[in-house]
Amino acid sequence: MGKPKVGVYGLTGCAGDQLVILNCEEELLDIAGALDIKSFPMAMSGGDENCPLDIVFVDGTVVQPKDEEMLKNLRERAKLLIAIGTCAVWGGVAAMSNETPREELKNKVYGPAGQVFDTVVPQPLSSFVKVDLAISGCPIEKEQLLQAVASLLHGDLPRLPNYSVCTECKMSEYPCLLVEKGQLCLGPITVAGCKARCPSYGRPCIGCRGPVEEANVSSEVRLLREKGFTWVDIQNRLRTFAAPADCFEDKILKEGANA
Amino acid sequence: MRIVILPKENLAEFIGHLRSFGELHAPTKRGEKSLVFAPVSDLSEIELNYTRTILPLKKYFFKATDVMFNFCAEKGYELPVEEADKKYVIFGVHPCEIHGLKILDLVFGGKYVDTYYFARRSKVAIIGLDCIPDDLCFCRSTGTDFVDTGFDLFLSDIGDSYLVRVGTSLGDDMVRAADSLFRQVKKEDREAYKRNSVQRRDSFQAEIQLQDLPGIMDLEYESHVWEEVGEKCLSCGICSMVCPTCYCYSVFDELSLDGNTGQRKRIWDSCLFKDYALVAGGHNFRAQRSSRVKNRYFHKQRGFVSQYGRPSCVGCGRCKAYCPAGIDIVEVISKLRSEIRV
Repeated sequence: MGKPKVGVYGLTGCAGDQLVILNCEEELLDIAGALDIKSFPMAMSGGDENCPLDIVFVDGTVVQPKDEEMLKNLRERAKLLIAIGTCAVWGGVAAMSNETPREELKNKVYGPAGQVFDTVVPQPLSSFVKVDLAISGCPIEKEQLLQAVASLLHGDLPRLPNYSVCTECKMSEYPCLLVEKGQLCLGPITVAGCKARCPSYGRPCIGCRGPVEEANVSSEVRLLREKGFTWVDIQNRLRTFAAPADCFEDKILKEGANA
Repeated sequence: MRIVILPKENLAEFIGHLRSFGELHAPTKRGEKSLVFAPVSDLSEIELNYTRTILPLKKYFFKATDVMFNFCAEKGYELPVEEADKKYVIFGVHPCEIHGLKILDLVFGGKYVDTYYFARRSKVAIIGLDCIPDDLCFCRSTGTDFVDTGFDLFLSDIGDSYLVRVGTSLGDDMVRAADSLFRQVKKEDREAYKRNSVQRRDSFQAEIQLQDLPGIMDLEYESHVWEEVGEKCLSCGICSMVCPTCYCYSVFDELSLDGNTGQRKRIWDSCLFKDYALVAGGHNFRAQRSSRVKNRYFHKQRGFVSQYGRPSCVGCGRCKAYCPAGIDIVEVISKLRSEIRV
């Protein structure tokens, strides 16, 4: 079997997840040796933009009509489509104000310059195409990426954590910022994988990896309300990185707020 | 059992002696309020008057993540190399913690002995220290507020001195190595020890009724208390991580990019995780959070009793102390007992 043909592409976003791939300095030669990288516009010119691909890694969010077009084209080209980064998986910061009308938002941010381009309501990749594997994180964790590549080379999907940041926080025995300091920490509802990096520096989790499966958001909201945080503070924090997620729907948030 | 007296002014020097028996670990501060067992170099770093550390001692023997073996397509598998002769002395271990280890010894020493656990266990000396319970401690209810075995030495505060019980020949070696620091037990030491023992017994505030609890739990299997707790529970797994007797782990392989080598690892698991009872084919035996919470209580207070003749809870209070949602085991059990149901 030949090396898998791979493409790495970015939609609207900071391209930080593609940068994580380039930052795998020690492993870069191994990666390049194991994969046949056909196109990686951020890293190389002269890529093949039409060939069929075994795997395509996509970061960023669908924010412009051309993102949707590009994404659908990549889906057609690739056997496996892998969303990398919280933007691609959950919508990311681009989607934090989706309830505000697009025109109003565009005008506020860009003024008259906003007239020259189109935007759509930002959505994660899975709203448009089938996503075969989602690696979240802002940016993604290098170790998870390497494990994913290694597993895919073995014809398997990687094992990603399906528990919260709290689990990793306690495994490393960091003092609890919710219990001890009463901080607005989203550890209990945010998916693990970062080894609780922010709590390790005494900073609360801001949910940049997106929600854990079956996150108990109403219990989290209730306990933050009991600690005296305002509804606005809580809502802003919850909706920073993954506002389109089902668990952050208005109805669920309000349930927690009124409990 | 040999019993001697260590005057408090000699403790610092004795701790210096202990370091010749292995790397010294003891409760020490992390952050503003938290405590952890960690390497220390002298008495000034040790918190003598503490109630609980974030993680229990299981972290030394049954690590949060562990390499079980390395594998290679050509060479097969090989066990990871550990520092074979390195010894440890863990100082300041409370009775509930020692009971926790005795329970893990039972579990890991069953039909299929966990060699990873026991290889580390045999390298560690345990120096116990008594404690004053806070409002979360209920080890008196679980019968784990006092230990007769499971330590090399055990220190009880009797005012100006520690009454030191010698539990093993290694403990005896430790005392002999610092012979001049100890003295014989006198009448007033005996009296102080007995007086303190009563005082300590009377200072417990939290209590759980364990008698007939397995039966009550069976009767209240359908109780709505489980729904209530399930609604609050965040499934964050903290209670399992910090529990001295939670021993579940999940096993997985980590492969290298060369496609040729890899590691088999294990990592702490929790029955509160969504995937815990998920099986091939996609069925989840405990898909509801309430059923997972119930399972945790049932295993500790009901299932373990059937298998080992005692609950696996040691009353350390960590699950309440570190639960972000404030779930309180004492409250849950008492609700279960008093609940009126049609």
